[in-house]
Amino acid sequence: MFLGWLLSWCCGWLCALVGHWLWTRATLRPVTRVPSASDTICFFEISATDVHSISNRRQRALKPGESPYRALLETMELTKTRLTLQLTNDNNKVRLLLELYRLQGNMTRVKINELKPLKPRYEVPDVLIREPPTEPLSLLSQDENGVVLSLGVESQRVIVSARPFRLDIMEGREVLMSLNSRGLLAFEHLRMRKDTVYIALNLCQCSLFACQKAKEEEEEKEEEGMWEETFKSHSDGKPNGPSAISLDFSWPGVEHVYGIPEHADTLRLKTTDNGDPYRLYNLDVFQYELYNPMALYGAVPVMLAHSAQRTTGIFWLNAAETWVDISSNTAGKTVFGKMLDYVQGSSEIPQTDVRWISESGIIDVFIMLGPTPKDIFSQYASLTGTQSFPPLAALAYHQCRWNYNDQEDVQTVDAGFDEHDIPYDFIWLDIEHTDGKRYFTWDQHKFATPKDMLQGLMDKKRKVQMKDEPVTQLQIHNEIRSRGFYIKNKDGGDYEGWCWPGSAGYPDFTRADMRDWWASQFAYDQYEGSMENLYTWNDMNEPSVFNGPEVTMHKDAVHGEWEHRDVHNMYGFYVQMATAEGLIQRSGGVERPFVLTRAFFAGSQRYGAVWTGDNAAEWDHLKISIPMCLSLGLVGISFCGADVGGFFKTPSTELLVRWYQTGAYQPFFRAHAHLDTPRREPWLFGPENTALIREAVRQRYTLLPYWYQQFYNTHHTGEPVMRPLWVEYPQDPATFALDDEFLIGRDLLVHPVTEEGARGVTAYLPGKDEVWFDVHTFQKHNGAQNLYIPVTMSSIPVFQRGGSIIPRKLRVRRSSTCMEHDPYTLHVALNLQRAAVGELYIDDGHTFNYDKKEFIYRRLTFANNILSSVNLAPDAQFSTRSWIERIVILGASKPSKVTLKTPDGQESQVEFDFDASMSVLTLRKPGMNAGLDWTIALQ
Amino acid sequence: MRLHVFIVAVFCCGFVDSRKIRGISSSYKRFYKEKKSFLCIDGSKIIPFEQVNDDYCDCEDGSDEPGTSACPRGRFYCTNLGFRPHYIPSSRVNDGICDCCDASDEYNSHARCQNTCWNLGQQERAYVEGQMRTLDEGLQLKQQLIEEGVLLWREKQAQLRDLQQVAEDLQIKLEEHRRRKHEADRLKEQTLKALEAGDSDLKRQNGTVSSTFKLLDSNKDGSITVEEVQARVTLVHDEERILSEDEAVALLGGGHQMDLFKFQHMLWDILTRGDKVKIKDTHSAAGGLVGEDPHLQAADRAAEWEATNLKKVEEAYDTVNTEISDLQKLLTIDYGPDWEFLFLNSQCYKLKVYEYTYTLCPFNQVTQKSSAGTEVSLGKWGMWAGTPKDQYSQMVYENGEPCWQGGSRSTTVTLTCGTETALRSVKEPSKCQYIMDFQTPVACQPVLKQRGIHSEL
Repeated sequence: MFLGWLLSWCCGWLCALVGHWLWTRATLRPVTRVPSASDTICFFEISATDVHSISNRRQRALKPGESPYRALLETMELTKTRLTLQLTNDNNKVRLLLELYRLQGNMTRVKINELKPLKPRYEVPDVLIREPPTEPLSLLSQDENGVVLSLGVESQRVIVSARPFRLDIMEGREVLMSLNSRGLLAFEHLRMRKDTVYIALNLCQCSLFACQKAKEEEEEKEEEGMWEETFKSHSDGKPNGPSAISLDFSWPGVEHVYGIPEHADTLRLKTTDNGDPYRLYNLDVFQYELYNPMALYGAVPVMLAHSAQRTTGIFWLNAAETWVDISSNTAGKTVFGKMLDYVQGSSEIPQTDVRWISESGIIDVFIMLGPTPKDIFSQYASLTGTQSFPPLAALAYHQCRWNYNDQEDVQTVDAGFDEHDIPYDFIWLDIEHTDGKRYFTWDQHKFATPKDMLQGLMDKKRKVQMKDEPVTQLQIHNEIRSRGFYIKNKDGGDYEGWCWPGSAGYPDFTRADMRDWWASQFAYDQYEGSMENLYTWNDMNEPSVFNGPEVTMHKDAVHGEWEHRDVHNMYGFYVQMATAEGLIQRSGGVERPFVLTRAFFAGSQRYGAVWTGDNAAEWDHLKISIPMCLSLGLVGISFCGADVGGFFKTPSTELLVRWYQTGAYQPFFRAHAHLDTPRREPWLFGPENTALIREAVRQRYTLLPYWYQQFYNTHHTGEPVMRPLWVEYPQDPATFALDDEFLIGRDLLVHPVTEEGARGVTAYLPGKDEVWFDVHTFQKHNGAQNLYIPVTMSSIPVFQRGGSIIPRKLRVRRSSTCMEHDPYTLHVALNLQRAAVGELYIDDGHTFNYDKKEFIYRRLTFANNILSSVNLAPDAQFSTRSWIERIVILGASKPSKVTLKTPDGQESQVEFDFDASMSVLTLRKPGMNAGLDWTIALQ
Repeated sequence: MRLHVFIVAVFCCGFVDSRKIRGISSSYKRFYKEKKSFLCIDGSKIIPFEQVNDDYCDCEDGSDEPGTSACPRGRFYCTNLGFRPHYIPSSRVNDGICDCCDASDEYNSHARCQNTCWNLGQQERAYVEGQMRTLDEGLQLKQQLIEEGVLLWREKQAQLRDLQQVAEDLQIKLEEHRRRKHEADRLKEQTLKALEAGDSDLKRQNGTVSSTFKLLDSNKDGSITVEEVQARVTLVHDEERILSEDEAVALLGGGHQMDLFKFQHMLWDILTRGDKVKIKDTHSAAGGLVGEDPHLQAADRAAEWEATNLKKVEEAYDTVNTEISDLQKLLTIDYGPDWEFLFLNSQCYKLKVYEYTYTLCPFNQVTQKSSAGTEVSLGKWGMWAGTPKDQYSQMVYENGEPCWQGGSRSTTVTLTCGTETALRSVKEPSKCQYIMDFQTPVACQPVLKQRGIHSEL
């Protein structure tokens, strides 16, 4: 039922879409609105099965090729950088303007707006890092049926068909993607409000089908829900009337699509024919459901399509509420059916069709043509930027709970970690640290001397993360109000809603001046009791409005000249942007910020980390953390994690341990717990479990150099840190749907134990010519196999790819900062060619000085029995005290002699130890500085 | 100047020490005798002696690197001259944080550690002395409380015995009174029967006619009125209903009044037939009837008297029994080997924390009162829950007010040694789970004193 009303509310605006070609779900038709005094929505009463049978009936009525849109070729204008063309809707004669750009880096941008809208329609600002640079387009041919344009490189063309309008992107003879091939382009033009009287049908009293018919006859007339909608007791006065947009995309040859987070669902997106579409609408969802397309806290309207031949993607730049429907011609087929097709040489090419719908704004689509997964990442990164490079400590372990009650509590927990010799870097304070839940304040009793507390933690090189929310009251309220920074309600007054502080205003973060002001509040002299080891956490920034529709803001709230409807999914993005800016400014631009956010949008990767919100202490929630973070990584947000242990409810000890073991290998590693749950600091479950948790956390710390390097890498390339196997093995279909295991970078494969009482897991080790080494036992396994691994409570199945070199720091200390100058141990895993490569990245770990070329970046190569370190950034300058204390070569044979050569020409013998049973060669204390050139020869 | 000399002295010692083997205690020196090779203490490996403390971990047990951070399982010995020596994990050597008060762990780091052992030692000694004083005082007080406890225990036991004696006496008395009441009831019954059966009709009739007339004649004016009939006479089948005026007039033979004569010949017959109307069944009516007979009156009074007496004795017996069971319940609680915790019973201790006032009534309950005035139970006495070694170090109070998300509030009280008995702190680390620190001399343990002496340098 919960879902029922969610769907009903969100679809309300879709009801206004005109024409029978529109959304095929009967439930979404305007006819389902009841203009009765009670303001109920009649399909509340309809069971799911009813909905589907009707939707199927509607589905059948829908035929491809019936798009009422026609391209007016005579209006075509082609300049060097863009093509423009008018489209007309034969039903209502409203004209649209199509713009088509060829972008650098193998991308095409398609923009469709009304040619002459009554007033401007919202175009999303601030998400693109710059106006994307274009490449010339050229006309290949033209006739009355259409136009063929060359997309520059590689025989790529775009074919614009005139009647009906459609776009096909081709490479050679192959269609890569088609737009409006199913005729689902829709554009609700802005119109004057007519003072017509609503057709007073009491629809609940007639049968739905009859309603349907009755309504169809009224097709082009005024419809319910166009100018006002109600949901429960909330009303949405829609001053602009209907403004939705829609477009369909088809991918021939594609069976796997990914992305469009945030959903608690599998990595591979499912078809939505038999259920609800994927919804993108940032919401504060209480105890979300799994394997469900319902909207969650954040939205990134980016979808990737993958086949063994090619990876492509769509970035639908729209911040309004958005729905994505997916269908596939092979979805229903059994494995046998597919085999039969294969054997018989089926004529049917697999195809995936998707359809995007947004409530307002314009159609602005970036078509990323790959062709490899990594091309997609760099293409998307070129549009929206890459993951911010976090301070190293942010990649370490975070201890959080709602709530640590007072300063003494914080000190006790801090001391507990030392007593049990478990490292941590950040302790988090939830809302209760504040004075009356008002941000930028401290509870004067419980946190009487915050600076003493922060200093105490700083002395141990640890940090504090504090929560804030985009809602304000009292302290800074008057100032925000006097500056007019609040979001307004539809009547022009300050919008008020309920959130933690009680009745509160919501600052308008879409305003640059508001963001500047917010950022200035983080200055040390403004935020009393703050110090440089105090960081910030943005929660509730969907925004959460306890008494609003679906616990969020009314869509008719006003942001300057725009409605909340237009900007909703971007609000959290702006809050994090302003907060990160505040943290940068307070250090005079020196220190990297670290801001965690719950709500996000495309581009949020530039401002910090994301967690998967209020999950629960259940095994399925542990499992879903993998696909949820993988999906985020695919669309640029690499710094992702789930609350270790689960936020709601109380985990069993086994679940808690398994969650630590999983979280230790996910990018953002933070334990968190709800106020109502019993304490669960790692040492509260007996010495055995304390030891298991300690070991998991220590494994994280030993790998911090590798994690850091991965973030440096993603900061430059946009490649996900935690990545699905198919990203590295794009031609191996066995990897396409895997989401119970994942890679960190290229070289570590993790298959965490996520089953209760597990005795073993089966991990797929990819790569036909690859070998994988168990990182704990150093045992070698061949690639391209399903490997059964017996497990105990201490097992975390992790494998290092043969052919890789991973730097570690084995001296795990109290916090990552304490390990800064520690020596490295290199794990060199040889492939079948007895070679390996890796990288080593070192900087100060917390400032922007890497931008000033203050870092060490080296390539480590093992080939022909010589291991060498080569400078990859000769123009960079940084010195480190760290040295190489140990080199472990996996899959090696026993040398007679090992010689180290340093740049001063000195040669020295290196002691070594060889374990013949595992073929592990350990070089003892070569001792050279990690920032220097060196070679080690095995003889 | 003195400080200077002192620091130099420490440095010298430190130097001498570290030139040998850094990070070991004197008792471990025997493992590190300078030889050609070094045997890991766990016996797992032999390494050249130069590899001891060479900042590379060779031994599985970390014993080759007592003075560096190289071994994950290693430990470093802080000599801490002037204070207390102790081990720290090797990972804290040269990590930029001062752990040993003699600064010996940060011999190669940027941390500017100062030797604080002397001060710490002073503080520690002062603290230990304070603790010792507290302990001495506490133990004396405890002794008193033990003595008092024993007395109190004996007193309670005596009280119990007394009560049990009283109860026994009461039991006998009770039986006697039961017998007597039974006898009186029987007598009354007999008298009543005799009265009904044995008297002459006339006497009965006259007596009853005139007495019934008198009963009806409420105002004693020698005639019955309509109101008087309405007040006293009722329908046999509907006792609740008041007769109407017409019905009353009919009973009075159509008039509004009736004298004794008329009554005897008209209404009396109707009343004695008893099929339509009757005299209201009131106590005064019955009393009026039996009140006539002196024997019956006497028997009735005797029965009533015995009933009252019995009731008094029963009540006394119940009271005594309740007292006994309360006392027994109280005495089944474990008050420690010497009943030293007994005195806490019936006491309550309060502490205000922020806006809440907490009250601990040992062996009874814990409550929390907000400044707004609402009181919530944080648990009722459950049990001792200390360690097996010292089970009297902790109390648990359970089954308090239910919590919002299931379960009920509970409180764990830790008892610590102090010269006063008082509630020292209250915390709620998890929702609805409270912990209290409760100080009292009876928690002082002689064993603590010994430990205190040993920990002093």
